[in-house]
Amino acid sequence: MKKALKLVLTACLCTTLMAGCSNNGGNEQSTDAGNAGGNTGGAKVKLTAIISKHPLTKPLAEMEWLQKAEDAAGVDIEWQEITADWGQKKGTMLASGDTPDLFVGPNVITDADFAQFQGLFQDLTGLLDQAPNVQEMFASKPETKIIATQPDGKIYGLPKYQRFWPASATRQYINQTWLDNLGLAMPTTWDELYDVLVAFKEKDANGNGDLNDEIPMDWPGGIGGFFNPAVLLGGLGITLSDGSGQGYFVEDGKVKNFLTDERYEKMVIFLNKLYKAGLINPEVFTHDYSKFQSVARGEGDKAKVGFTWGWVASDRFGEQLAPQYTSMSPLKESAGFSGKLSWSYDFSTLNYGVNQIVMSAKTKNKEAAMRFINELYKQEVSMQVLFGSLGTNIKDNGDGSYSVLPPADSKMDPGTWKWTSTWADNGPMYIADSLNLTLGKDMQEVLVQSEPLKDALSVDTEKDVFPGMFIKYTTADNNAMSLSNTNVMNLANTNFAKWVTKGGVEAQWDEYVKQSKKAGLDQNIEIMQKYYDDYVSKK
Amino acid sequence: MGSRTILGTFKRDIQLWIMIFPAIAVIFVFNYIPMYGIQLAFRDFDFSKGLTGGEWRGLFYFKQFIESFLFTDLLTNTFLISFTTIIVGFPAPIILALVLNQIQRKKMKQLMQTTVYLPHFISIIVLVGMLNVLLSPETGIVGYLMKSIGFGDINLLASTSTFIPVNIISDIWQHCGWNSIIYLAALSTVDPQLYDSAKMDGASRWQTIRYIDFPALVPTIVILFILSMGNILSTGFEKIFLMQNSLNLPVSEVIATYVYKIGIVSNQFSYASAIGLFNTVINFIFLFAMNAISKKASNTSLF
Amino acid sequence: MGGTRLNGSEILFKLILFVMCALIFLSIVYPLYFIVIASISDSTLVSTGKVFFIPKNISMFGYNQIFQDDRIWTGYRNTVFYTFAGTLVNLLITLPAAYVLSRREFRARRFIMFAFVITMFFNGGLIPTYLLMKDLHFTNSMWMFILPFCVNVFYLIIARTFFESSLPSELYEAAAIDGCSHFGFFIKVALPLSKALISVVGLYYLVGHWNDFFTGLIYIRDNQLQPLQIVLRDILLSNQVFQNGAGTGGDAGGYAQKYADQIKYGVIIVSTLPILVLYPFLQKYFEKGVMIGSVKG
Repeated sequence: MKKALKLVLTACLCTTLMAGCSNNGGNEQSTDAGNAGGNTGGAKVKLTAIISKHPLTKPLAEMEWLQKAEDAAGVDIEWQEITADWGQKKGTMLASGDTPDLFVGPNVITDADFAQFQGLFQDLTGLLDQAPNVQEMFASKPETKIIATQPDGKIYGLPKYQRFWPASATRQYINQTWLDNLGLAMPTTWDELYDVLVAFKEKDANGNGDLNDEIPMDWPGGIGGFFNPAVLLGGLGITLSDGSGQGYFVEDGKVKNFLTDERYEKMVIFLNKLYKAGLINPEVFTHDYSKFQSVARGEGDKAKVGFTWGWVASDRFGEQLAPQYTSMSPLKESAGFSGKLSWSYDFSTLNYGVNQIVMSAKTKNKEAAMRFINELYKQEVSMQVLFGSLGTNIKDNGDGSYSVLPPADSKMDPGTWKWTSTWADNGPMYIADSLNLTLGKDMQEVLVQSEPLKDALSVDTEKDVFPGMFIKYTTADNNAMSLSNTNVMNLANTNFAKWVTKGGVEAQWDEYVKQSKKAGLDQNIEIMQKYYDDYVSKK
Repeated sequence: MGSRTILGTFKRDIQLWIMIFPAIAVIFVFNYIPMYGIQLAFRDFDFSKGLTGGEWRGLFYFKQFIESFLFTDLLTNTFLISFTTIIVGFPAPIILALVLNQIQRKKMKQLMQTTVYLPHFISIIVLVGMLNVLLSPETGIVGYLMKSIGFGDINLLASTSTFIPVNIISDIWQHCGWNSIIYLAALSTVDPQLYDSAKMDGASRWQTIRYIDFPALVPTIVILFILSMGNILSTGFEKIFLMQNSLNLPVSEVIATYVYKIGIVSNQFSYASAIGLFNTVINFIFLFAMNAISKKASNTSLF
Repeated sequence: MGGTRLNGSEILFKLILFVMCALIFLSIVYPLYFIVIASISDSTLVSTGKVFFIPKNISMFGYNQIFQDDRIWTGYRNTVFYTFAGTLVNLLITLPAAYVLSRREFRARRFIMFAFVITMFFNGGLIPTYLLMKDLHFTNSMWMFILPFCVNVFYLIIARTFFESSLPSELYEAAAIDGCSHFGFFIKVALPLSKALISVVGLYYLVGHWNDFFTGLIYIRDNQLQPLQIVLRDILLSNQVFQNGAGTGGDAGGYAQKYADQIKYGVIIVSTLPILVLYPFLQKYFEKGVMIGSVKG
């Protein structure tokens, strides 16, 4: 009896296994569903697509402009919306060849992927004649064509150009109210900054009676990249490119890395001096971004942070405290410095984007897919990709000009509103220089607060900026550089944190430079110089 | 009776074979069939030719890893973190189980049991977030406590010497309760008559623990210890990655985080596979050795 | 009879026991309590350490965000199904196998155990596994959560150890004399005696299913099939996006930031509550005295 029960159970299991095997189910994503061949007179072509979107972005079905764009192109797209872990999903998706027709997102498929997964993606050069809007973009902004073209001349991913963003992501802020409270002048050199920060610390700058709650200086905790102290190197004449997160920059046509440059050593000595005097947030290397931002919002109308870097005051300090801060010009390293001051030139990385939309080579109806792509690059549509639908997010002024409307939800700031409403910076788009669009409050603030940096940012983009966005490396070089950079950054971050908090940079500098060489830094510079010279000669 | 070979006893044991068949089938299909992928550590990944078609590179990627700039640091850090976690973390659930088992009031025992296993369910992202808030020297409660006992100028999150202790203690805090469940279950099978007779013989509580409770746990302890040796170079990725910062990087950069970082910019599948295989081979050797030692010493072993 | 000596050391023992339990209890309860109050407090205050014992600036924004996401309810439904069906399959396959491996007369036991343990270390990698699942048509189907990897070798070993050490050999011999087969013995004798084991292994598998997000992440595309953890992870990561910072491109600023942490803490509560409810039911199987009466007579 019991034996029978056991056998029955085993039988059930086997049946289950077999049922599982044959369960195709209507659940499977049918990448080859869709009308084979062309349109059957008015019926929409079905396409599948994946979008890697910002977590705040609302469901695509609620975006009016998208529905209209799909209608205009005669397509009906089944979207899969991914907000996290795209990197992990991408690997198995590509390796198994299980791909949708279109991919959308910021660098959704990288150049390295194109090189590795040959044959998976559609070369768009042959289809460009069906995309006049894209051709228009290539013609007016030749940089976009450079970004899109692989070393072998093929085009697999289309870029974006969003035009309005400033020349730098990082703005430097100081609490004007504190300066006024203490009767101090705006600092213009590193030493003057030191004196001002000391005053902030010792004299109860925010006037609340507590002498110890001011944090004179704060930043996220890195060296380069946005909002980190490497921008101080502008005070020694170094022009960073795209934040120079890994230290690379160009000077007089030569590729260099500031991590082994003596001017960087000077900056580290300065930061250590500040740290020793208690002028830097003791948690600078341990706080997470969440805490970093929270601290800057102070308490009520009492600010906590005196000097820092950020995107725009309202984001960095919150609406209530933002008016207390002034955006600054770069600081000279010393009063005697006679060179030209500089900053981080980020125009390219802020306004251009690579591989924002990619087509699969297995798409059954390539013309339809290209039609949709072309529609996205239409002036009016691109604008809505970036800021949201006409009517709710953008107003048509009737005279050929447009204005970005304030958020419909009054509790939201314009940045969040933009990201919630639409694809924003993650989508493919072309915003022509000729478009007449009045920006929203946040963007206007960014531009106004960028004014003090104008002189520093008038650089020679040919000779002083590394064109990171426009250079394509071979797979072998890319792999080698990435391994070396991992080593170099490990060394750099460790030592930077150590030297700023404990000092010792002068004694350990030579050994550090030697180690960096061993880590592969010089080889990387050589490789990059080669590509840079090549790029310059082709212009 | 009958031959002593596997085949000989097959007929006699046919029922046993039927009972184990589903498990064998499952493991074979889902674990062994994909194993051909291991060759990716020895071959380039050539998409157009499939996983098995790339160029054969032999030990090239292993060599690349061993000769790489960070190799010694990675190996040392990984080993230190896993090893200390095992050594300190292994006894903790055992002690906890012994302690909880001694609680005589049923309600209190149940309350303690339920409480201690709760932290296990907290996701890593939240745990590290909590650590950052609570351990912050300026604003966290643990920070306050540290200041009040005089250790105010140690930043728990910021130094190379505190990284491993913080890591281990938070690990124990999170998983000790959950891991003690298996020991508690083993203790629950002890015949209560043993306790009664021990009491009548005048044994103290300590003696009860030493001579009744602990021996009941020994088989489980041995097996679990052998298995934990198989994790000698496994640190897990997510927690360490989230807890890394520039100040603890010299001790917190481990193999798992390194593989992640090289993968961000480039698709170096073969290199990553080779590193992974290197890692697991070392783990396996340790396990095997531990198993052999245990077989000799106590006759309990895994295989 | 022991008398005063016993009382002295007994009291000391009880005292130490009590103190240890109290410390353990507090060190666990406080952070958990902190999570609860943090999930309803203003996150700026939480980050800057202003929240200790009482929630401040209470707002249910975090929970609103979590529960108004429709996917949560689908997620709950799916997870409950996958967990129960999955655990059932797990136990059905694992327990008999563990029993077999505990029988000393089973000649192949060393070899099979070795072959199983190998799979704990060596695996072919994600891509070959994905391709296999695709060929078996498991990808993007609910079976993915139930069948593949349904035998966890670690739990199998635990079960085997348990059978080996708590089923005395006299028991089987006695039953065999009465004409009982392995099947019979297993179902009629071994299982009823192994309630503690079944509870433990069952609980481990159950929680494994409940917390699993990797399967859904890699193998499933259809949102209707996703379990709770995927939905929560999405929500969680969405709000962690500020972790790696930077407000490039007018990145979402203050508004979302303010409530990001609330969601983070709220997520744990939503995810853990059901399990919390379940455990007390299983606890009774850990009570003493499971083996009474089996050896005697």
